[in-house]
Amino acid sequence: MTRNKNKFNITPYLFIFPVFVLLAALVIYPICYALYLSVMKTNLTNKWEFVGVANYLSIFKDGSMVKSLLTTFQFTVVVVLGHLVLGTILALALNKKRPGVNAFRTVLIIPWLLPDVVVALLFKWIFNANYGVFNNILIRLGILEKNQAWLSTGLAFVILAAVCIWKGYALIMVNMMAGFQSVPEDVYEAAKLDGASPVQTFFRITVPMIRPVISTAVILDTVWWFKHYTIIKLLTDGGPNNATSTVSITIYKEAFSYHNYGVAAAGAGVVFVVCWLISKIMRRVMDQNA
Amino acid sequence: MHKKNKSLSRHKKAEGTLSYFVLVLGACMVILPVLWMVITAVKNDMEIYQMNGRILPVEVSFISFVRIWRDYDFALYFRNSLLVTAAAVLVSLIASALTGYGATRFEFKGKSAFLSFILMTQMFPSIMLLVPFYKILSIYGLSNSLVGLCVVYISFTIPFCSWMMVGYYRTIPVEIDESAAIDGASSLQTFIRITLPLVRPGLVSSAIYAFITCWNEYMFAAILIMNDKMKTAAVAIAEMNGYYRIAWNDMMAASLVASVPLIIAFIFMQKSFISGLTAGAVK
Repeated sequence: MTRNKNKFNITPYLFIFPVFVLLAALVIYPICYALYLSVMKTNLTNKWEFVGVANYLSIFKDGSMVKSLLTTFQFTVVVVLGHLVLGTILALALNKKRPGVNAFRTVLIIPWLLPDVVVALLFKWIFNANYGVFNNILIRLGILEKNQAWLSTGLAFVILAAVCIWKGYALIMVNMMAGFQSVPEDVYEAAKLDGASPVQTFFRITVPMIRPVISTAVILDTVWWFKHYTIIKLLTDGGPNNATSTVSITIYKEAFSYHNYGVAAAGAGVVFVVCWLISKIMRRVMDQNA
Repeated sequence: MHKKNKSLSRHKKAEGTLSYFVLVLGACMVILPVLWMVITAVKNDMEIYQMNGRILPVEVSFISFVRIWRDYDFALYFRNSLLVTAAAVLVSLIASALTGYGATRFEFKGKSAFLSFILMTQMFPSIMLLVPFYKILSIYGLSNSLVGLCVVYISFTIPFCSWMMVGYYRTIPVEIDESAAIDGASSLQTFIRITLPLVRPGLVSSAIYAFITCWNEYMFAAILIMNDKMKTAAVAIAEMNGYYRIAWNDMMAASLVASVPLIIAFIFMQKSFISGLTAGAVK
């Protein structure tokens, strides 16, 4: 193998060729097409007019895209923090080999397996204003006097975030479990001998040691939920009053309700830059402290 | 010493109790909504529309499970979903296993750029691909077809599957295939005969991930497929939400049918799934 070091070897390129070609054709080509669309005023059939950066300018001039970007930040921070907290607590509880733990683990992964559509509609039904079981139970318990249209109130954002936390924490939980198992047992024993409390041990030893293990999972989780669409669309459709209108919802409406395909493409471009920046910053922060 | 042991074991016991408490709470959080899905699916139409009515059904009715096949075309929708998903999973598995082998067994120019390119493609918001795919598929005559949808889904699954396979291949010592090379096997032979059986857990978790992604996808299927006969199950279920009078029991029955096979498959394969899913992270 070392003999071939200076000779060009085509074999590795043949192995990565399928993925390279598929990604070039199915990701890079459409992205370039999106960039092209973003400088056009078009209805995708017979009207094609070059407008330069006008679409980008209109995004920033029109407050709705900026506002939906802020909403998306808020949504992503809440959801990812929720995943981290819930995922960590449950992973800690699953960490020790105790009877029944495997059964609990299986149950706890179920939300991640359910289709987004199913999760969204299930909770839409649970929080239904007239026939929803949430109202029903609260009234039976005497907490509520009359039915509430939960998803049209100021609590819509909170409910949406809670549902998305419910849907997605399992991925962080599974990665946390793998992280905990990567810390050698004797590190804990040494900490115990030095008189560290369990809380100290967790934050001073476990967290720094598992950071590199879970960093990719956390970054991907952030990017995935930043661009999430389905649950938001079906549960609140951006409402009430655009309170849950994240960028995916806004771009979707721009394209397929108002047929401003150029503006939608420009918006998507902005979202890509933001996603990319987030991942860069997160990667730097996480690797620095590891 | 004796005293210390006793307090240690008491401490351990408290920790165990706390863990079980957390796990039971977590399990309730998962099971109660899912249980409500089951309860709704077996209620009859009268009981669905009772304001603040009984929580448990008066009688268990399976009429919704009959209706989703009889009054709706769910057999067709599930078949469509299955076809698109199976094809996308197969292509993703083959391509990502090849990449996993190529990127871990060889040093080559542009390797690290290629790996970060794979991760980078995850950053593109899928909504960014929606408008271009909408147009591109029609240019190539693939709009409104299951083939077109499958092509789109491959673009979703390939990056993360490749990432997982690269991670899993890293955990397999190179010495194993080097000894095969000494025995005169070609790279392709080594890849197929020696490494593929070893990376089975990685393949299983890539397959499950890809399956879940495609089976559950909604946004692209809703936009790209106009023909009623080509609808996928996810879109068909979501459309029930648009009816004037929503048949929640039918919708929940269809949701259960769409979810349960996945959960059962997962239970059988979860060990390999978890080890493969996290191999990319643990180096």
